[in-house]
Amino acid sequence: MGAMGRDLLAARELAWRLLVRDIRSQYRQSLLGVFWAFVPPIATAVGLTLANNAEVLNIGETDLPYPAYVMLSMTLWQTFAESLTGQVQAVTNAKYLLSRINFPREALVLSQLGQVGFNFLIKLVLIGALFLWFKMPVGWTAIVAPVALLHLVSFGTGIGLLLAPFGGLYEDISKGLGLFLTAWLFVTPVLYPLPQSGLFAALVRLNPVTPLLMTTRELATIGTVSDPSAFWIASLIALLVLLLGWLVHRVAMPFMIERISA
Amino acid sequence: MMESWTQNPLQNGMPDDAAESAQSRQSSNAAGDVVLSVQGVSKKFCRSLKRSLFYGIQDIGAELLGLRREADTLRYNEFWALNQVNFKLRRGEAIGLIGANGSGKTTLLRIISGLIKPDQGVVYVRGKVAPLIALGAGFSPILSGKENIYANLSILGLSKRQIDQRFDQVVEFAEIGEAIEAPVYSYSSGMAARLGFACAVHTDPDILLIDEVLAVGDVKFIAKCHRRLHQLRQNGTAFVLVAHNPQAILSMCPQAVYLQKGHVVATGNAEAVMAKYEADLFLGSAARAIGILKLPPKPAAESTGLDITGVCFRSPRGELLETLTTGESVRLCIQFVAHQEFDRVNLRVSMMELARDGMPDLYLGGSNDKQEFHVTPGTHEVQIEMPYLGLAAGNYMMRIDVRNDALFVLEIVDNFRFTVQCNGRMSKSAFYQPRRWKLLSRSLAPPTDSGFDLDSLTSHSDHQYSNHHHSDRYHSGRNGHGISV
Repeated sequence: MGAMGRDLLAARELAWRLLVRDIRSQYRQSLLGVFWAFVPPIATAVGLTLANNAEVLNIGETDLPYPAYVMLSMTLWQTFAESLTGQVQAVTNAKYLLSRINFPREALVLSQLGQVGFNFLIKLVLIGALFLWFKMPVGWTAIVAPVALLHLVSFGTGIGLLLAPFGGLYEDISKGLGLFLTAWLFVTPVLYPLPQSGLFAALVRLNPVTPLLMTTRELATIGTVSDPSAFWIASLIALLVLLLGWLVHRVAMPFMIERISA
Repeated sequence: MMESWTQNPLQNGMPDDAAESAQSRQSSNAAGDVVLSVQGVSKKFCRSLKRSLFYGIQDIGAELLGLRREADTLRYNEFWALNQVNFKLRRGEAIGLIGANGSGKTTLLRIISGLIKPDQGVVYVRGKVAPLIALGAGFSPILSGKENIYANLSILGLSKRQIDQRFDQVVEFAEIGEAIEAPVYSYSSGMAARLGFACAVHTDPDILLIDEVLAVGDVKFIAKCHRRLHQLRQNGTAFVLVAHNPQAILSMCPQAVYLQKGHVVATGNAEAVMAKYEADLFLGSAARAIGILKLPPKPAAESTGLDITGVCFRSPRGELLETLTTGESVRLCIQFVAHQEFDRVNLRVSMMELARDGMPDLYLGGSNDKQEFHVTPGTHEVQIEMPYLGLAAGNYMMRIDVRNDALFVLEIVDNFRFTVQCNGRMSKSAFYQPRRWKLLSRSLAPPTDSGFDLDSLTSHSDHQYSNHHHSDRYHSGRNGHGISV
């Protein structure tokens, strides 16, 4: 454990360099830049709102205006999904580097977390605009919303770390990841409010992302947490997954590197 | 790169860094100035990629569950890429690793740099290891040279402050100049390689691992690289150099390790090791009669309609030659059988000294010489007359390409080996030049003044062939006749 902490500390400068490098080259190659961070939630919201208004979809009552609900939830979900896929992609993209230079691998993990944070900050602009547009009140609880968000990101990162070394070995992981996340999105109350009864409702409730995402959303908007105990259980799961993921990542990476460089 | 680490795969569970570095310090103190110690290192590799990936998962699982991996037995399809390798390197020393492709040199470098763990044995490293293996790894083409220097040096383990300090040196060394603010994709390949090299050699490593990368950029830059390496060496950096080319190792390393299929065959004095390596390269195929190649007939399925059946050298009188002699007249005979008619058969023959990279020593191109043959079904022999063999003494490998027209390859034979002996008249040269020496002389009118007069030499244009001073002593041969050597 001590060694893990020390390595993390030692990697922070390199992590910062990698983060700066990645973000710069990402935005230098893009004409519209940050625009791409806004598009998916807006497009989803517009599409679903239209469908909802035309009564093609039958979505229940949400505690926020529906477009705002979808956009906010979508942003949170995206942050979660990014923190998961980011870790897998980071390893896949850095294969060449990993197989040739021995640098602290924690730097990759940290730099990826930095990217998630950076992207979220950009999306925060969208969220701010959303609150103004729909004249939603912001309670004092919004200050603690980032804590819940952090748990959400930890959970995503933990799963990402677990998968990353295997993703470096087998391409199936990164290929299946998109599909897996789409399926997961549908059992998370992002596009619809939490269902109250039935088998599907039970499934949605079992999903650890549900309380984490809902609590973040509730803290940022209405200010009352509907299910605090579920939130704490999910947070504990998130923490355990993060620790396990980190451990597996540390142990498995040298083996992965050995196999890809052979 | 890490400050002081060790690897011990036999130790299970999470490694305890503190204990390891203490161990490493101890071992290095005990051994004096040893910066690198490779002890009984073995590594398994797998020939099948699918299986290799599966074994990878297996190993990860075993490691996670804390099971002892069976490090000393081979699983199905595995082989020892390295087997019980030992050597030591002291501060400021250089050691060369030599061996054929696939002998485990690069694997050893990877283990030393800490990228992969050995299955058995230990590597002790004291100080910082810098691999000169992946030059410019992590360069992002979009970013400017400057940004890339910062990123690359960070990856190589330098802090921001250290990079700030040596940034100017790196730029100056790479000879990038103004372009440092331009994105790397706009660089020529030479510029990018120079930048990569400049970054790598400015990390002040204690041990530098060099894997045949010294050929970056133009001759001037290569010279500069060598100077920089020399400077590093003076400052106490130890080198591990990997090369196929014995010359590169001999010029830099007083010691060498010769690897063959993962085993250390010879170690110690570089010249002795190289001699062994070169001898083995040649002996590797000694089972077959050297200088004469007979090939069995090919099954119809593998044949393209024309098969080489034999290759040999003959003297002008038609005798078979097992070894050739520089400067003698020889005839290269290539026998083949044609199963169908071909229009424009031409041969390309290249000869290269064993263990050398790059251009062949001799290339005889039938198409260059406008020698195309019309071939009818039957057996044939192409003869290439070489009035003087220009190759220097050594062991050579010949490759013969038979084509119909420019592109249609009918047959390739690339394992014909032969030896050229010295004729005693050739030294300090790479090829034999048939030559004829002459001395033309004319005796002078008796000198008017005392002895030799420079003015008289320059004023008499018809004396241009003579050397007044020494003419008498050199008149032993038949004056005016050339002596062919």
